[in-house]
Amino acid sequence: MTMLPTYSSQDCPRAWEMMPWVLQQSATQEQSEWLTQHLAQCAACRAEFAQQSRLKQAMSLPSDVHVDMEAGLQRLLGRLDAPVQQEPQPLRARSGGWLMRALAAAVLIQAIGIGALGLKVWSSGGNTAYRTLSQEPSTPATAGAIRVVPDAGMTLADWNALLHSLQLQVVGGPNDVGAYTVAPSASTPKTQDTVQQLRAARGVRLAEPVTGTP
Amino acid sequence: MNDAESSTDATDRLLLQRMAAGDRVALATLYRSYHGRLCRFLSRLTRRADVIEEVINDCFWIAWQKAGDFRGDSRVSTWIMGIAYRCGLKALRQHGDEPVDDNIPEDRVPATDPEEDRELRDWLGKGLERLSADQRAVVELVYGEGHTLDDVATIMQCPVGTVKARLFHARVKLRNVLPTLAERSLTVKEQAP
Repeated sequence: MTMLPTYSSQDCPRAWEMMPWVLQQSATQEQSEWLTQHLAQCAACRAEFAQQSRLKQAMSLPSDVHVDMEAGLQRLLGRLDAPVQQEPQPLRARSGGWLMRALAAAVLIQAIGIGALGLKVWSSGGNTAYRTLSQEPSTPATAGAIRVVPDAGMTLADWNALLHSLQLQVVGGPNDVGAYTVAPSASTPKTQDTVQQLRAARGVRLAEPVTGTP
Repeated sequence: MNDAESSTDATDRLLLQRMAAGDRVALATLYRSYHGRLCRFLSRLTRRADVIEEVINDCFWIAWQKAGDFRGDSRVSTWIMGIAYRCGLKALRQHGDEPVDDNIPEDRVPATDPEEDRELRDWLGKGLERLSADQRAVVELVYGEGHTLDDVATIMQCPVGTVKARLFHARVKLRNVLPTLAERSLTVKEQAP
């Protein structure tokens, strides 16, 4: 714990402040005389001034760390002759370090965020839960379904009679080329026979089994 | 500035002018002239001789490069001490702020050091190790080098008020530590056969 100096009179702070400058002889003659008079009256400041004098004496001793002056000078002169000499780096080079680290951290966080977003989009890409209006509905082919194109001259009564005789019903169409999709109403369809019968019937231009999605 | 200081400063300015013209003899003269005081000043910041030499050479390398830019706003000694102080702080950041070593190896103590000086060094070392690097620098510049408050503010590139505060707190710390050590030293001496 630091103990502040205790002053015995109101002149003591001024004396305390003046001591170093009187000791190094940079104080004015008037200041030096004033301090001398104060020290004559104040034992505390006298003791402090003696301590300050000893401090100055100690600080004036030559360095006790031996550094070879001539060797150092030769190294300096050699340094001047070196082809590329860099001035000691400015102090801001160090202070810029934290800025670079902060920027690098920000870039890293952004990269992680972009990566996580990309991963989420990629993982949900396989489960398309939507389709465009132009897409064909992916209805499963009805078992035993047959595409039939009736002749343009075939009456509706003949068409209905044909379907009824073969136990067929219309499940789709007509499409752009006038083809209907028909499927047997019976539980056990015999597709190949039915196709043959359709082809043999009057007023049928084309009959083909639906084997799957083209 | 007294007459002796004015004369020294005039000589230093001439040396700087010659250095600006590329005169290496002038550089060597200024180097030898300042080596002792720079060693002592820097030894308050670090105890490593290699670091002290490195800082002195950095300081004079900059002085060599900037000699032509010296405007004469301050004394040459203030200018050089300012460069050395900044180079010293940089070295402290690179090598670590080592406390003042009070256990000085025998081979590092000058052979001609009288017993009284050795005791004084020991007394001072124990006090300085309680101070921060800035406080040690201020104490050295004021008590060791004899710089004024304005000079120290120029060297440390800070307001005069900051220098006053550093000096005040350094003196209070030393006042609290050094008398105790002096008494301990005396007690040990009295007990010794």
